[in-house]
Amino acid sequence: MKYLFILFLAVPVPVHAYLDPGTGSYILQMIIAGIAGALLTIKIFWNNIMMFFGKLFKGKKGRDGRR
Amino acid sequence: MGGVNTASFRDPSGFVFERGGILYRQVNSRYAPDYDLIKSSGLLDELQSGGMLVAHKEADLSLALMPESAYKIIEPEKIPFISYPYEWSFSMLKDAALLTLEIHKRAVNRGMSLKDASAYNIQFKGSRPVFIDTLSFEKYKDGEPWIAYGQFCSHFLAPLALMALRDIRLSSLLRAYIDGIPLDLASKLLPFLTRLNIPLLTNIHMHARSRLRYGGKGIKKSEVKGKISKFGMLAIIDGLETAVKELKWQPRGTQWGGYYNDTNYTAEAFENKEKIVKNMIEETGVKSGLVWDLGANEGVFSSIAASNGHYTAAFDIDPAAVEKNYIRLKHDDNNRIIPLLMDLTNPSAASGFGNEERMSMKERGPADIVLALALIHHLAISNNTPLSKAAGFFAASGRNLIVEFVPKEDSQARRLLAFREDIFEGYTTEGFERGFKNMFEIIRKEPIQGTKRVLYLMRRL
Repeated sequence: MKYLFILFLAVPVPVHAYLDPGTGSYILQMIIAGIAGALLTIKIFWNNIMMFFGKLFKGKKGRDGRR
Repeated sequence: MGGVNTASFRDPSGFVFERGGILYRQVNSRYAPDYDLIKSSGLLDELQSGGMLVAHKEADLSLALMPESAYKIIEPEKIPFISYPYEWSFSMLKDAALLTLEIHKRAVNRGMSLKDASAYNIQFKGSRPVFIDTLSFEKYKDGEPWIAYGQFCSHFLAPLALMALRDIRLSSLLRAYIDGIPLDLASKLLPFLTRLNIPLLTNIHMHARSRLRYGGKGIKKSEVKGKISKFGMLAIIDGLETAVKELKWQPRGTQWGGYYNDTNYTAEAFENKEKIVKNMIEETGVKSGLVWDLGANEGVFSSIAASNGHYTAAFDIDPAAVEKNYIRLKHDDNNRIIPLLMDLTNPSAASGFGNEERMSMKERGPADIVLALALIHHLAISNNTPLSKAAGFFAASGRNLIVEFVPKEDSQARRLLAFREDIFEGYTTEGFERGFKNMFEIIRKEPIQGTKRVLYLMRRL
């Protein structure tokens, strides 16, 4: 995937084709879905960790509060 | 009488038409399966009860304008004042973008997909964005990418990025490009360092290149191998949402900053002005009308009009003032005042195919009451508009006019004249009244205490 990024940035692009932008949007989604998926997985994983610690912290606080 | 709405021709699923002064939407038979699915999936209820999608009721099928293709006729709730993306402040466009993504996500959860992500499918009821195209949903097809992805980037992400990261005034590009800002143009205009921001790198820069590379090559859909899982598609949507949320623009003061704090415009004078304006609004006798507050600044007088029961469009030329007004109205969840960006010396023109898709400012009037407060000196002195021509503009804008005359002796007018030759001999109280008398009857006038200004209530002849 990293190579695709570099490829996109490095290769010059012909500038005539305004006819059908839909194809380019379609293909790009195919390319970035993988990386977007990986980022979202990390995000969900991270949020879960934060939530776990958040609960732990809150829970302790709650018990302290009752005392 | 009436006919097919001139902005409603792109989508074969149906169209908007007018009959007896009421706006209806015809749902065509070809859209029947999707229309039934919106209802049976629970999506319609979910979106409408949450205020995200415009409410509607089903009307009698005999009302159909083209009965041979009609499946249903629906009567959507009326939007009090139509506005367009190039008239919105930064946060209005941002909230419209986030609403579009939220609706798509909810649709996907119910087995459907948003097939259009046009910014023109959003309207504002006061400060509340609402999606107005009930026929923009289709059955989600497993493995397919989001069909409206490109449109979303051109209509929302590109202008927001340009406004936040290059210059707020670039929202005007939306006026030139009716189907969103071309991504290759956005890519050229954005700062180079935005290539280090993954959401902008992928969704704008790479996207622009991909469009240029593959567009117009006549590639068939069947030739594109591979599928996108639902998770992959939602991950792209999540990336777009993050990109939009991260874009921020902070108005630094306004063009009119300190306007009210000037030497000859005290708090008492301002209070007096508020009182006179309030009384004059009541004296028009208009109930629950449409008010245009021209040069509304941050909306003090729009609020007075709205509290008198009128739906108010608060126009200003300054993006910072419109933004601040919107943020305040949004905080109050106000649904009676819509803040809009408008240069009155060059108001929104009719545009789109045949100049018929987007209405000019004028076509959206006339208003019942026009407020033109602390405005005339800007038109007459800064823009060299003859007073009779200004009167003509106000007369075309509305039936009742509350206008403030700001004489040359006023500090604000003096400021405008400070660095230029005074070529405005006719700019006097008498000249002002003379200029307006051809178009309006002056009902009454009242000086604002502690200032040299005069407020007029006028009625169009």
